[in-house]
Amino acid sequence: MTRAAAARGVPFSASPVLALKLPVWRSRLVLFALFAAFVALVCRALYLQGISTDFLQKQGESRYARTIELPATRGKITDRNGQVLASSMPVKAVWAIPEDVLNAPPEKLRQLAALLGMDERDLRKKLDSDRSFVYLKRQVEQDVADKIVKLGIEGIQTRKEYKRYYPEGEVMAHIVGFTNVEDAGQEGMELAHQKQLAGVTGSRRVIKDRLGRIVEDIESVREPHDGKDLTLSIDRQIQYIAFSQLKEAVDKHKAKAGGIVVLDAKTGEVLALANLPTYNPNDRSHLNGAQLRNRVLTDTFEPGSTMKPLVISLALENKVVTPETVIQTAPGRLTIGKATIGDAHAHGPLTVAQIIEKSSNVGTTKIALQMQPQQMWEMFTAVGFGQQPKVGFPGAVAGRVRPYKSWRPIEQATMSYGHGISVSLIQMARAYTIFANGGELLPVTFQKVTEPPQGQRIFSPKTARQMLDMMETVVSPEGTAPKAQVPGYRVGGKTGTAHKVVGRQYANKYVASFVGLAPISDPRIIVAVMIDEPSNGQHYGGDVAAPVFANVTANALRALNVAPDSSVTDIIIPADSVKESM
Amino acid sequence: MSGRIATVFSLGLVLCALSVVNAQYQARRLFIELERAQAAARQLDVEWAQLQLEQSTLDKHARIEANARRDLAMEPVTPANTQYLTLGAK
Repeated sequence: MTRAAAARGVPFSASPVLALKLPVWRSRLVLFALFAAFVALVCRALYLQGISTDFLQKQGESRYARTIELPATRGKITDRNGQVLASSMPVKAVWAIPEDVLNAPPEKLRQLAALLGMDERDLRKKLDSDRSFVYLKRQVEQDVADKIVKLGIEGIQTRKEYKRYYPEGEVMAHIVGFTNVEDAGQEGMELAHQKQLAGVTGSRRVIKDRLGRIVEDIESVREPHDGKDLTLSIDRQIQYIAFSQLKEAVDKHKAKAGGIVVLDAKTGEVLALANLPTYNPNDRSHLNGAQLRNRVLTDTFEPGSTMKPLVISLALENKVVTPETVIQTAPGRLTIGKATIGDAHAHGPLTVAQIIEKSSNVGTTKIALQMQPQQMWEMFTAVGFGQQPKVGFPGAVAGRVRPYKSWRPIEQATMSYGHGISVSLIQMARAYTIFANGGELLPVTFQKVTEPPQGQRIFSPKTARQMLDMMETVVSPEGTAPKAQVPGYRVGGKTGTAHKVVGRQYANKYVASFVGLAPISDPRIIVAVMIDEPSNGQHYGGDVAAPVFANVTANALRALNVAPDSSVTDIIIPADSVKESM
Repeated sequence: MSGRIATVFSLGLVLCALSVVNAQYQARRLFIELERAQAAARQLDVEWAQLQLEQSTLDKHARIEANARRDLAMEPVTPANTQYLTLGAK
């Protein structure tokens, strides 16, 4: 218009439009409106910047900042030579949002069911729920999980978790134990050392870019702490030897159960510990209580004659007898009060050494009754009977030793040959460290020790040596356990055969046991074997448990590179060995 | 005069601003690299554990014994068929 006006030659200032006389309120109104708009903007800016700033910053952060969980791995359990006994591997938990998944094509669901190793019907049943979150399967292996993700079904998600693998399986089950799906220890060492093994998960807050890459840490990182590795005292090779020999014996004698423990005689370390029946810790779908029981530690039994070396040693120590003292055991029967105890065979006069060799109850009783009940009780307590062993193992039991004040003479008599007193196999094995260490009792441990432990003196070195020599005669052809002989090595030990108490009565069920040391010249290992209810004709410790001892000892000594201390490579086993007394 | 000073300073300011941008970019790039390296380390850790586990499974005594007996027809050692050598003996 101005141009048009200019074209027509009218000067701008003279434009007729300007000459219009408008009312003043109109310009004021425009000015006011503009000002009001400006005030509104200022108010809004103040509100955003000042008052709701926290809220907005949080909103912004949530668009690019993420908290990431940093998982920690559970520590490994290894044997004394660093071989893995338990190790955690990352796996996936597969979970679903049921509503989304049920919309997927049936063909895909079928493939999913196949990959999960489930029946399609079961899968559908699982998905048929109102919840918005359902675990389909936990601890799915990585490659299977990858395939599931590749199916591309909507609503299927995976989450990282860990699965524990036990390469030794049933052989090591009772020592190592196992963890649950949450990676918490449930049994054995996994439970006992849960604190040390479990890791502490960490977390970090980060900024992620458009492509999901982490570009910056916002806060300081809470570092995850992986669980510490645990080195056990177990020797994998000896453990296998012990387990396989025990299994063979339990099968051969149709026994209900069995246990074996191998100790290092110098350090008190547990080199092997096995129980039957056992289970596979990698597949625990059909577990029962009998399989889980760690009999060596959690079952007590009346040990029978394996107690005799301790009682006779006490008599030697207190100079009640010497190894050459002759005790009359004829007629193989002894009446104390109303009860009569007896030997399996009547032997006549025997020296103390022969009482051990032939395992005479009458002889042992006659020696024991020359001592005070208090002396015997103090010795039992000193070697750890009736007290929970401090081995750092869950569920280890104390056994039972009644206070001496309530002992009647018949009870003192039966206790001298291991009845009326109950111990666990590991307590018995530990007690024999006395004979291997010149009279000193060693603490038992499941963890590798670096320096020799402090022993506790029970008997003098002389007594220990004398008993060691007596125990060697037990495996001679004249003793109760010629089947315990080991070619190339001098060995010794003591058989035990005890009636089992069923209800309140002694039943015709037996526990056959053998505790022995080898080599006698300088003991390196202690092997204790217990076979529960052998029922295939034989039930004596010398027939059932002694061969297990012999086989385990022969192989273990070879595995430990112990030089032979005997030139005898052929052993003589008489057709009919001496039956021990019960 | 003052105009020239202003020009110099604003030029400096722009350069500083650009270098901040560049530094931030470099920082993020290096950070991503670090992340990647750490992820690789974790992966290698997992693989190592897996290999250890595999080794343990493969050299299980039960398996070795079965193989030695079945495939190689080997027998257990006994002192009767062992020649012992003593160090230092003539």
